Amino acid sequence: MSRNLPVLDTGAANEGLTAEEITRRQFLQLAATGLAVGALAGCVEPPRERILPYTVQPIGVHPGKPRYYATTMPLGGYGTGLLVESHEGRPTKVEGNPQHPASLGAAGVYEQASVLQLYDPFRAKSLRYRNAPSTWNAFVREFAPTPQRAGYRGAGLRFLLQPTASPLTSALLDRIRDRYPEARIHSYAPLGSTTGTSGLLRLFGTRVQPQYDLRNARVVVTLDADLFGAMPFAMRYARQFADGRRLANPQAPMNRLYAIESALSDTGSIADHRIAVRSADVAIIAATLLRFIAAESRTRGITAPDLSADQQAQHSADERWRMIARDLVANARQSVVIPGEQQPAAVHVFAHAINLLLGNIGRTVWYTEPVLYTTDAGGIDALTREMKAGEVDSLIILGGNPAYDTPAGLNFRAALRSVRLTAYTGLYENETASACHWFVPSLHYLESWGDARAYDGTASLTQPLISPLYDGRTADQILALFLGQTDYSAWDLLRESWRTRFTAADSDLIWADSLRRGVIVNTAAAPLPVTPDWSVVTQTLANMPQASDQIELVFRQDPKVYDGSFANSPWLQELPDPVTKLTWDNAALLSPRTAESLHIESGDLLQFRLQNRTITIPALISPLHADNSVALSFGYGRRGTEAIARDVGVDVYALWPGADQYVISGADVSRVESKNAHRLATTQDHWQISGRPVAVQQTLNGWRADPDFTREEREHAEALYELLPTAEEQWAMTIDLGICTGCSACVVACQAENNVPVVGKAEVLNSREMHWLRIDRYYNAEAGSGTITQPMLCQHCEKAPCEYVCPVNATVHSDDGLNEMVYNRCVGTRFCSNNCPYKVRRFNWYNYTMGWSETEQLQFNPDVTVRARGVMEKCTYCVQRIREAEIQARLENRRIRDGEVVTACQQACPTRAIVFGSITDPESQVSRTREQSRLYSVLNELGTRPRTRYLARISNPNPAFESS
Amino acid sequence: MPAPFPKWADSLFRVLLAVGLITVAAVPLFLMAWVRTPQITGQFDPVRQPVEFDHRHHVDDDGIDCLYCHEQAERTPYAGIPPTERCLNCHSQIWRNSPLLEPVWQSYFSNAPIPWVRVHQLPDFVFFNHAIHVNKGVGCESCHGRVDQMARVYQQMPLTMGWCLECHRNPERFLRPREAMTVMGWQPPEPQEQLGRELMQQYGVQRLTNCTTCHR
Repeated sequence: MSRNLPVLDTGAANEGLTAEEITRRQFLQLAATGLAVGALAGCVEPPRERILPYTVQPIGVHPGKPRYYATTMPLGGYGTGLLVESHEGRPTKVEGNPQHPASLGAAGVYEQASVLQLYDPFRAKSLRYRNAPSTWNAFVREFAPTPQRAGYRGAGLRFLLQPTASPLTSALLDRIRDRYPEARIHSYAPLGSTTGTSGLLRLFGTRVQPQYDLRNARVVVTLDADLFGAMPFAMRYARQFADGRRLANPQAPMNRLYAIESALSDTGSIADHRIAVRSADVAIIAATLLRFIAAESRTRGITAPDLSADQQAQHSADERWRMIARDLVANARQSVVIPGEQQPAAVHVFAHAINLLLGNIGRTVWYTEPVLYTTDAGGIDALTREMKAGEVDSLIILGGNPAYDTPAGLNFRAALRSVRLTAYTGLYENETASACHWFVPSLHYLESWGDARAYDGTASLTQPLISPLYDGRTADQILALFLGQTDYSAWDLLRESWRTRFTAADSDLIWADSLRRGVIVNTAAAPLPVTPDWSVVTQTLANMPQASDQIELVFRQDPKVYDGSFANSPWLQELPDPVTKLTWDNAALLSPRTAESLHIESGDLLQFRLQNRTITIPALISPLHADNSVALSFGYGRRGTEAIARDVGVDVYALWPGADQYVISGADVSRVESKNAHRLATTQDHWQISGRPVAVQQTLNGWRADPDFTREEREHAEALYELLPTAEEQWAMTIDLGICTGCSACVVACQAENNVPVVGKAEVLNSREMHWLRIDRYYNAEAGSGTITQPMLCQHCEKAPCEYVCPVNATVHSDDGLNEMVYNRCVGTRFCSNNCPYKVRRFNWYNYTMGWSETEQLQFNPDVTVRARGVMEKCTYCVQRIREAEIQARLENRRIRDGEVVTACQQACPTRAIVFGSITDPESQVSRTREQSRLYSVLNELGTRPRTRYLARISNPNPAFESS
Repeated sequence: MPAPFPKWADSLFRVLLAVGLITVAAVPLFLMAWVRTPQITGQFDPVRQPVEFDHRHHVDDDGIDCLYCHEQAERTPYAGIPPTERCLNCHSQIWRNSPLLEPVWQSYFSNAPIPWVRVHQLPDFVFFNHAIHVNKGVGCESCHGRVDQMARVYQQMPLTMGWCLECHRNPERFLRPREAMTVMGWQPPEPQEQLGRELMQQYGVQRLTNCTTCHR
């Protein structure tokens, strides 16, 4: 891939010469030829384009006007409602659906990147049987029921699915179980932890799923839970949490977040108290909290069981747990304790016992039936056991990538060989595809019909934005085939399934409305009454393991490639990790002190040995990481046909002992001596601007004491001449650092909207990444707090330093306050970038977009120029959206309404930390944020007068912590 | 010792120096002028289309309004090239057997678009919006010329940035009432500058010279 490893693109490459073989003379000859050819090319008329109109224009379609369709993206079994922008039938950009509970209008990194996955040139294109191309009809003949197989009850037939909550898939699976009573259905996803449900099953005696509502929570405690990054309802939780700290003035009420975790997460970075502990110790801490809360509750006359008789854990000596417990009790009924999905069942038992004691049930926590489809066939381990025992005759794998992402301890890949007939459907010819007999390409959600349920049970439909690019099928179609419905399209199946569900007379209307809305109304799961069994709690408390200081390994979701299913997305590979800022790699994260004890530095290779398996992976020191804990993220070291993902990073599944075992102790760690340290492409150390008041923060009490603490960073220096605004609108942006979690959805959204290229690892190492919007992360010097994350983009200075130095007027100021970048004028001197104090300008060192495949080019936003080599570029405040709104307003002879222009970053932001609008309207949202006393400009003393301004982060630490 | 060069060598040197300097200045100037010639801008080059569609006949003889076929011009960025079915609104009734319509029928029955050749081609970094121009009093003729007199359509205006700016800087010189939008050969009933200023007032026309007005 030229994108991966850009090479100097001269004519020499075409003539079979390598850089070393070219003499100076040859180089000059080539250069002269190139110049002459270029000059000639400029002297002839450019070739004329073709215009292809419709033969019959569909009603409502106007070429040049994008249309938006509501659909649903399934991820980890749950659906997120989206609105997808479509230009003449090609989806280009994903936005959140404001009506969908999981999105509330926001779209995270995976959702944003999914549109590029649709166009991925490495997607599988055709059906295959063993090594030969095959057809759907042949596949049907192999698996569909025939009169000869009439008596077949499914002996030896196994299905392996990803967790799903789709009503259609569930109905099909139920019918399959009826028809083939001896067949079994297993579901597996590496991150689909079942510890939560089993913990709650023990506590309540029924299968339930917890639901949280942070709107009424004044105190939130997370127990190794990445509430705003990795949990199924993360974007909703982030919005609800942010709503509790959108402070207009110092007197406004503010919630408080304690994050107890090992690796720093999005949640930890915004927490008021982030406490680094080994993931294995979280259970002990949860137990400690539970004991304190029970004791505290009883002193306050609340009935609570006496749990103090149990052994005192080591951590109870720590005063912090007592203070957190007091804070929780003081905020009983309006607090919530949330256990991490990957934590063992005991933590879930303790966390929910705490919520019960605090009276949070029904307010911030309630329980519903599990939304995911469940069978009692057992998990992946049960299936693998059967496969090894030869009890499985045919195995149908629908999605996922089990030959890669199952624990190495199971050895699923080897077990596959003992199955007579295997079939796999997936987007790629990946590790699993190559190990199966049959392969059927599956359809991307943007080209299929289907349905899904959100974490709270709300159902919604998936409708295609484009007809299938390749000869693929949905998982539902393959399931239907086993029921004899061989010629059903995905639409037939879905429509039939919902026709029976919408029983009302106006069922067609409800269907149409649900499609348009993107949500089927009133389908959220109803709360279930629960009765806890307190003996389970005391029993679990009694069986607590002892704390230890052994080095633990934590296996976790990657913030960029998820479990590996997004590994082939160049956008996500190049997205800097929200915390470590690492691109194109994964690494073993560890704390500075642990690194010191192991005598290693970032980039050194570490070898981990667990039982008889080893992996070698570069180390990356992460400040604020818990000591004696090593975090390893899934999803790298791929070996399939996906060329971008191939050989990027290290496969940590190869070390993973078993499903649901995310925290492991007892691994051997050793340093591998090697001449060259591994080069980790982090963007962290580029453009370091710390040491100045760049990312400003204050505590709530500090703000109350000095409400105007940012005055020096806000007041303008005297100017020799004042600028007079001439246009009706004056655009400006405010970013609230108090609610930015650093999740990076804005970065990918910007990339998708503005055709921002990907440059590859080698170029990132040269500091040449092209992101118009980056997120700077600063570690807090004070103990007890996490990081502060600051989205940094063109500040659109009123007195912009870049404009003064451009020799060709390629960057100039518009009447409406934009710092404009004119690509066709730019000659590439890069003076502007040198003179930019914010370092937000990006230069095209190569023709980065030239390597895009034909399909990937379909993703380009037609409203934004695709830049070529030698041109500077930077954030434009999404000027294409501004002009679009402006034209619309002028056609209607009115002013642009507040909120009519939404930038891509603003639209994607789950917490709505970004506000954009015109400051000539004193009532506009952005004008009101600019009146706040915590407003400031970055590097105010330079007198650049940025239009992008920030609201200082206000944290709300527990006063008791400071006094102790 | 005789002089190494004859006396006239001095003059020769001066002349050559002058010629050299003039060449250095003239080449870029020549190239800059060259790219603005019709040869490069594609002006006055009647484009051969897959269907021999004659605008003269349809506009002048039949009196069909521009907006019958280019109906999006008032509402969207693109004026729109008519879908094949639009041709057949009339031609399913008249001239059904004309061999000139063969490609049209073929397109309709095979559901494959007619590959029209673009006549007015702007660079990829220019974003032009028909709707706003048409609604603010820029007539079709102002940019496309007398299409009613073209057998094969060609580009009559240079479509260079300088040409765009003539109007973007001084719209009053070119505006016409909306009612006369599609009229070919329109003449202002009163002095153009005066009418233009009135129309600017009436339609809220602005002088837009920000770069991002067109370059995004």
